[in-house]
Amino acid sequence: MGLSELLSTYGDKYLQGLLATWSMTAVSFVFVMALAVLVTVARVSPYRPLRLVGDLYVQVFRNIPGVALLIIVAYALPELRIVLDWRTCVIVTTVLLGSAFGSENFMSGINTIGVGQIEAARSLGLSFTQIVRKIVIPQALRTTVLPMTNLLIAVMLTTALGSQVPLNPQELTGVVSYVNTRATGGVLAFLVSALGYVLTALVISFVGNRLDRRVRILR
Amino acid sequence: MSSPTPALSMRDALYEAPGPRTRRRVRIGTAITAVVALLGIAAIVRQFYVTGQLAPRYWSLFLQWTTWRFLGQGLLGTVSVALTAGAISLVLGLLLMLGRTSGVRPLAALCRVVTDFFRGVPSLLLIYFFFFVPAQLGLKMPPFWMLTLPVALAAAGVLTEVFRAGVNAVPKGQVEAALSIGLSPAQTMRKIVLPQAVRYVIPSLIAQLVVVVKDTTVAYVVSFPDLMQNARVLITSYDALVSMYLVIALVYILINFAINKAAVYVSRRTGAKIIR
Amino acid sequence: MSKTDAVEKSGRDVPVIELRHVDKHYGNLHVLRDVSLKVKKGEVVVVIGPSGSGKSTMCRTINRLETIDSGDILIEGEPLPQEGRELARMRAELGMVFQQFNLFAHLSVLDNVTLGPCEVLGLPKDEAEARAMELLERVGVGEQAHKVPAQLSGGQQQRAAIARSLAMRPKAMMFDEPTSALDPEMINEVLDVMVELARGGMTMVVVTHEMGFARRVASRVIFMAEGQIVEEGSPDEFFNHPKTQRARDFLDSIRGH
Repeated sequence: MGLSELLSTYGDKYLQGLLATWSMTAVSFVFVMALAVLVTVARVSPYRPLRLVGDLYVQVFRNIPGVALLIIVAYALPELRIVLDWRTCVIVTTVLLGSAFGSENFMSGINTIGVGQIEAARSLGLSFTQIVRKIVIPQALRTTVLPMTNLLIAVMLTTALGSQVPLNPQELTGVVSYVNTRATGGVLAFLVSALGYVLTALVISFVGNRLDRRVRILR
Repeated sequence: MSSPTPALSMRDALYEAPGPRTRRRVRIGTAITAVVALLGIAAIVRQFYVTGQLAPRYWSLFLQWTTWRFLGQGLLGTVSVALTAGAISLVLGLLLMLGRTSGVRPLAALCRVVTDFFRGVPSLLLIYFFFFVPAQLGLKMPPFWMLTLPVALAAAGVLTEVFRAGVNAVPKGQVEAALSIGLSPAQTMRKIVLPQAVRYVIPSLIAQLVVVVKDTTVAYVVSFPDLMQNARVLITSYDALVSMYLVIALVYILINFAINKAAVYVSRRTGAKIIR
Repeated sequence: MSKTDAVEKSGRDVPVIELRHVDKHYGNLHVLRDVSLKVKKGEVVVVIGPSGSGKSTMCRTINRLETIDSGDILIEGEPLPQEGRELARMRAELGMVFQQFNLFAHLSVLDNVTLGPCEVLGLPKDEAEARAMELLERVGVGEQAHKVPAQLSGGQQQRAAIARSLAMRPKAMMFDEPTSALDPEMINEVLDVMVELARGGMTMVVVTHEMGFARRVASRVIFMAEGQIVEEGSPDEFFNHPKTQRARDFLDSIRGH
């Protein structure tokens, strides 16, 4: 099948797939960030049990394969009377996985600050909240721009898990398997979807790099 | 020179040694969060109970030797794919890195495009590629390779960057010294830079194995009998979906946890950072 | 109690900083043994001793960066609070200069200096900036005000850190080996600032290896070893007529090279 034939027959599908991938990525990433902040707060809290829960959360979700988690969310949870629609299943899976890595990024961002600056802030008479607000959070945010950019790309790639459940509309990877079960799509059918991912990733990392250069902290 | 303060992790350093009031507040908070955590666990267990998922018929299969033997066979499949894919990605990643740093413009550009491509697409898409395309071209590919090759390609993209970071971590003085004693650039790369770079990236390579193991779990797409695929077979014969998937997930988590721990251990011993 | 009351009450006799029988352990290590010390207003107390002698730890206990196991620490006769707002207020009145400068990496030098006055003292931004610029000029890094710390040399960073402390208008300042992390050619630019401060009447506790500085400006020299204050006296007494063998050995060892 040639490119023109492929696009005239399945062009709409691909476009919908791209939009589905983008929208699931965007929605997921918002929740990834929110949850990563919460988990990180739990992990740096002074309360042992909360730290433990946070650490456990991260260990579980950074080590579980995406497919295994998706299957649990999509097929095991309903047996426990928790039924989510397919799109939500994919997003929940992506968010759980992504937030574990997001929290790891924040933790290493916090680790780069160094005890000395905290002691200096303390010596000036800053309270704990002031130290967190004025020293810890700004530095942790600014040092994690690049890792979070990579995480956004990883989140996008994770939404390809959507191909494992009957999504409607399908996302980019699902579209390829749809096309190929109906026609001999060949290499081209893949390249179209692949380009969707690669170009998006390039744009994300371009923007991320620009942003990083603007806010990076010299050390 | 400085005071003999015991090494503190940053998350502890955020808090200073508590006074009596703070200590009381932390104790109360600890108690409250402990209760909340226990309530959470209780709620989960209750949900399992009321939905009948704690019934022995869902869990008794794990007491049978045959279950574990079958899962073990699947695990062997997982390990063989992971190790083969890991080995291929090592070679490929190294070659792509050498291409990128070769200084030959077109070759470097090509290697860069290839690297960015494999890093920028989901491994699932690559797996579908090897599932559909060779067959469409009339090639008969065994499921093992339909799974191993895409996993290897995806990993190779990442490893190229890891190796590059390793090469960049070798001090410039090493290259200058090597060239100054008359080694050719190729010899310098082979004898001086690479050995040091490889030593530097070993923890990162180990950590990357986690990604490879995770990527193998879609083996069912190509019907390759790995741990996940064998678990699915057992589910259909025992009708124990929830328990089986949870146990399998736990197995994967423990394997990857162990790999990560090994990476961190090696990283601590060698002082080399883990690049992801 | 308002500030002026405190000053009046302190008068001549109440020391600005007082340590009474302070003890501290790190596990089995007894890092401070029955340390007692008084620092009066305007005094410059220089603490010297071999590394591991507890001098840095002692310095850091004064604003509770290190806790103590027993004994008392008094600031102008008031016990050092253990936590909360009271502790923060007390710290705001004591300056601290670190070996590693510890400037806030994400803030410009100017913002480093205004952070304390704005956040802790509640000074309006423009007033804090005017005060900060004046101080930065005074320590000779006015030109660097809008750079970030990493763009400054070590000596410049340490002088900025001193300005940061001064901006809080502290009652006393602690210096924890302020020149130990500096390249030799930068040590003097920092010491000059400290000398000027001392001459201006600042109450100072200085942990240092710079014997020249001790000779020039110290009101008193404290010699510590193994967590104890072994000897205490005027610079002349200590350097020319040390009373203890330990102090003589130490002085010999640093004069040896």
